[in-house]
Amino acid sequence: MKINESDVEYVAKLAMLEVGPDETKALAQQLSRVVEYVEKLNQLDLSGIAPTPQVVTSGRHAVRDDRVVPRTGSSEAGRTVKLFKVPKVITER
Amino acid sequence: MNLKNITADKLVALYKNRDLTATEVIKGVYEQIEHVDKDVHAFLSLNPERALAEARRLDAQIAAGERLEPLAGVPFAIKDNIAIRDLQTTCGSKVLEGYISPFTATAVERLRAAGAIVVGKANCDEFAMGSTTENSGYFVTRNPHNLDRVPGGSSGGSAASVASGTSLIALGSDTGGSVRTPAAFCGVVGLKPTYGRVSRYGLVAFGSSLDQIGPLSKSVREAAQTLAIMAGFDQFDSTSADTAVDDYLKNLDASINGIRIGIPKEYFIPGLDAEVRARIEAGMRVYESLGCELHEISLPHTEYAVATYYLIATAEASSNLARYDGVRYGQRRAGNAPLQEMYRRTRADGFGTEVKRRILLGTYALSAGYYDAYYLKALKVRTLMLKDFQKAFEHVDVILSPTSPTVAFRIGEKTSDPLSMYLSDIFTITQALAGLPAISIPCGKNSENMPVGMQLVTNHFQESLLLNVAYQFEKAGGFTV
Repeated sequence: MKINESDVEYVAKLAMLEVGPDETKALAQQLSRVVEYVEKLNQLDLSGIAPTPQVVTSGRHAVRDDRVVPRTGSSEAGRTVKLFKVPKVITER
Repeated sequence: MNLKNITADKLVALYKNRDLTATEVIKGVYEQIEHVDKDVHAFLSLNPERALAEARRLDAQIAAGERLEPLAGVPFAIKDNIAIRDLQTTCGSKVLEGYISPFTATAVERLRAAGAIVVGKANCDEFAMGSTTENSGYFVTRNPHNLDRVPGGSSGGSAASVASGTSLIALGSDTGGSVRTPAAFCGVVGLKPTYGRVSRYGLVAFGSSLDQIGPLSKSVREAAQTLAIMAGFDQFDSTSADTAVDDYLKNLDASINGIRIGIPKEYFIPGLDAEVRARIEAGMRVYESLGCELHEISLPHTEYAVATYYLIATAEASSNLARYDGVRYGQRRAGNAPLQEMYRRTRADGFGTEVKRRILLGTYALSAGYYDAYYLKALKVRTLMLKDFQKAFEHVDVILSPTSPTVAFRIGEKTSDPLSMYLSDIFTITQALAGLPAISIPCGKNSENMPVGMQLVTNHFQESLLLNVAYQFEKAGGFTV
């Protein structure tokens, strides 16, 4: 499937990316080539095949105990400048 | 001090005999960095004050006759997508310029507890997205064997550092070959452990169902030693496996007589460089001389690997990289603009072209109407690849192939064509999709004096066998094949 410039703009909006008009054209061409290539997966009969989102290699997939441990350093996270400071969310029209 | 001719075990022995001090060695490392890294560009940032303080502390322990840890005073380079407290973690991206980690990755914490000294953070493709380290937001790392060639990627700084003697061992991360390819291109050993074997706490996420931290070194023994220290359950990583950790060092010397080695016919394709093929075939003869049986096997879905990988990895990346929004980490643009504009401007300025391309591809593959056609389909093909390997491992113990279809190519050779760059990953992707352990070991050089890498693969959690088979090749002189 061909990806055109408006597809790029739409996906860029979903991904919260600003893409310039000069970039849009090149991206549409490059992504079209990649998407046309990945469509070779259509050659395969996948009926009855379960998806593998992750190769599970261990019985215990850790959910750690819900208690505070010192190691994450979260109390020091505020040292990084601008952290957690958010500009205004609601704007006037 | 040139570290090119010394390995970690020998260095620790020199400390024990008091033939060398750690302070001399670490000072020597920084002299070597000053000497060669202006050409190689392996490091994004250095850590001299802390490294020298740690070296002095170790020297005091040696003088007091204390027992030395297995990696005491061994200089390490750490890929810049692995967090170390109080040091900058950029992932090779401008969006994280100036970001200082508030905590240390479990893998690094364990290495430090075993005596390792971190000398600096190594360059990489931005967020580990690339096969050559040309996608770093800062500068291109060059191959120490030929400065006009790429070092491979994305852990290119790590591999180039080990190969140019500015660290003894380095950590990289492998999502689709990012430890193995640079190891092959720079003529060093690169190990990708089983998915879940090494904790990823503190590794910046790219493709969460694929990412693994792995060591790069000059010898298999060093890889085994490093893995032995890093491996094992970590409650801070929900994908960490609680499978027992084998004694990787003890098993290195086991005989490999009678081991069945599978040669996948799908890897010996027309695109495979003739000289690479010849070196790998010479490597097979070494294994035959060690009593191994060679069997042709088939991994029929190999040709779908690149398509499958670039859907799954980009889909996961598009989600993982949503967090770089100018609020919690690193850089912010248009700080006075409304929130969404600030997000968009920060991301537009901060991310490089390849990262944007992959975020867009991943977002597309996950978007309404295309999820089933692309992402879900790729997850199903992944099941077929896993089954290919399971079937193969009923008949063979190890799978042998080239690591890359070519030796290191020229800087700039493939940057204009993303698809041809993606296709160069063909031999390292399926193991990542299947979560299998794999190692790239040096297998001689071609007529241009560029290293060739040989890849070995075993079943899940069989790193002990993998390292054993790799070590026996090294011991038999296979590296100079």
